Amino acid sequence: MLKNAWFKKFATIVAIAMLAVSCGGDSDSDGNYHIGYSNGGGVGNGFREEQVCTAKAEALASGEITQLTTIHRNTDAAGQLSDIRDLIAADVDAIVFNPNDPDALNPALEEANEAGIRTISVDAFVTNEDTYNLYNNQIDYAYLGAAWLFDQLGGEGVVYYMRGFAGHPADTDRHTGFLKALDENPDIEVVPTIEGVHTGWDPATTTGLINDFIASGQYDGIDGIWTSGMDSQVVDAIQQANLDFVPIVGADLGAFVAQLLDTGGYPGLEGAAVTNTAAVGGAGVGLAIALLNGDDVDTADDALQPNTVLLVPVLAENTSDDGIELLESWQVDGLDPLWPLGLQIEGWTTYTPEQAVACAGPGE
Amino acid sequence: MSTTVDAPDTMISRPRGALVSAMRRNAWTLGLIGILALLLVFTKIIQPTYGARGIQGLAVSVLPLALAAVAQAFAVIARGIDLSIGSMMALTSVVAAALMEDRSEGFAILVVFGVLLLGLLLGAVNGSLIVVTRVPDIVVTLAMLFVWAGCALLVLKTPGGGSAEWLRDLTGGSIIGPWIPKAAVVLGLVVAAIWLPIRRSRLGLSLYAIGSAPLAAYRSGISVNRTKIFAYMLTGLFSALAGLSLTASTGIGIPVPGPYTLMSVAAVVLGGVSLAGGRGGIFGPIIAVVILSLLRTDMTFMNLNTNLATVAQGLILVGVVMIGSLMQLRRDR
Repeated sequence: MLKNAWFKKFATIVAIAMLAVSCGGDSDSDGNYHIGYSNGGGVGNGFREEQVCTAKAEALASGEITQLTTIHRNTDAAGQLSDIRDLIAADVDAIVFNPNDPDALNPALEEANEAGIRTISVDAFVTNEDTYNLYNNQIDYAYLGAAWLFDQLGGEGVVYYMRGFAGHPADTDRHTGFLKALDENPDIEVVPTIEGVHTGWDPATTTGLINDFIASGQYDGIDGIWTSGMDSQVVDAIQQANLDFVPIVGADLGAFVAQLLDTGGYPGLEGAAVTNTAAVGGAGVGLAIALLNGDDVDTADDALQPNTVLLVPVLAENTSDDGIELLESWQVDGLDPLWPLGLQIEGWTTYTPEQAVACAGPGE
Repeated sequence: MSTTVDAPDTMISRPRGALVSAMRRNAWTLGLIGILALLLVFTKIIQPTYGARGIQGLAVSVLPLALAAVAQAFAVIARGIDLSIGSMMALTSVVAAALMEDRSEGFAILVVFGVLLLGLLLGAVNGSLIVVTRVPDIVVTLAMLFVWAGCALLVLKTPGGGSAEWLRDLTGGSIIGPWIPKAAVVLGLVVAAIWLPIRRSRLGLSLYAIGSAPLAAYRSGISVNRTKIFAYMLTGLFSALAGLSLTASTGIGIPVPGPYTLMSVAAVVLGGVSLAGGRGGIFGPIIAVVILSLLRTDMTFMNLNTNLATVAQGLILVGVVMIGSLMQLRRDR
């Protein structure tokens, strides 16, 4: 009797599963595209989440994509290799991905190119020559912010250097940009060392680092903080410790921009936000469509890799009227405060900010 | 407490009886092979173009995890557990990548042997600490997880290094026909070359004995401590092989450990190795890894949310453990 009941339950589950598959599986394209999207890390990180959402929004808004298969998980380079191979096996027309490493994914990318699949790397470059790269110019990103900060300090002082994820190509590029600005300002001292500290772009790690820095009394000896986009946590920690703010550089994240504009809530806070648009996801999908349609794509001549589209960062500070106006123009209703504000990229994305906030792809 | 020792196939009986008993003993593995076959059919149904290329990709992605699962199986069979496998993989992988960068193809052969020795050494350190300090395995290996991960970052601060071409060729692509991936052949050969001789030796039997009933094993003259260290050395050796396979597939060394330790525990449980020790084999966990990887691939084909896929993997694992205990209960009754 018991066995029979178990069997019935099992059979029902199997039947439902088969039904779900038969409903979901047959979305064959009629001349329309099936795009694969692989994000190999940062699940829960505002930048990566928004990046996936803009990819979905672009897939939906373009009207040229019937299916977007998204693999969005925390894994290493070997795991992302297997994700890309899964997308090849899923018979997609193009693969857009945020790479875990510039070199490690090349074997799978070569297999994709052999199978006639277009590959587009977003947010960072890969060294596979057939792959198109589309990313924010991270050297300029760091340079812009650091140059503003050093200028703000009058060219001398001590700066706490809070970096991103050790070994990530964007972190390495930003380090290059930071050092470039530092070269131009020889009287700036960087603590704890010229290598900085790594936040891993993780809010909790950042909060721990800045609290330790404050508790150890080291905060009292600095004149400014450069962060690699983990910014509002730093502002909050200083506020909670009842200390005076030093100038802070961060990214165009909703929470940080709101802090910069809230002079009543954060008295004395001076800072600058540099755009690091997460819409590279949506722009990557836009680039994939352009390549599949055979359109001409303008690429940068001065990039490290061929086939590269570089997005130019912009800085806005709260120390001038123009800066405040620019910061105000960036704000988007309904967006998670830990997500970057630059939701669209002219020429590459066609969706509305509402579609990006809705985070739904074709058929969702 | 059960004192059964899953002995090698030395049972002398009538041929038919032997076959039935072998099948009964390997029921779990046979069941897994059945599930894998069904899953392959299911995959072909939801993705009709799934073919040789898919199988090749599957084999390459399975290789590091399968070797990690085998590594874990040795520790678990000997009534231990090794939480430092992922870190040992990272350490051996970066050592290999750092030494092979810009060096000759021939030198890389030396590096491979050196890294395997390093794996044996790491395992020996883990095992000796457990035996000497008498601190539980889970605590010692948890601590060593941090030690080996830190060492990996000391060797390479960021992903880098290189890999010899022959090592990369060893795991990519196929051999003879498109349906036989090199990675699968390598896995089969490596496991057979190391495990089969050990399994048929006194040491292999001792592994199961100390896992099944350490006191009984001790009383029958087995050196429990030495066997335990030996088990952890095997775990270290296979972790090093898994680390090498990471270097081979990515062409670099990555100092931050991947999600291999917990996946190896999952594969061992799904593969029919009892966490209480002394029961199970090497083949089951390998099949389990293939099943877990193929499940993830299928979820991609079905366009399921990746977070749901992770939840599903966990539920499958809980389900399997429950079925396992139910079977155990019925067997004991």
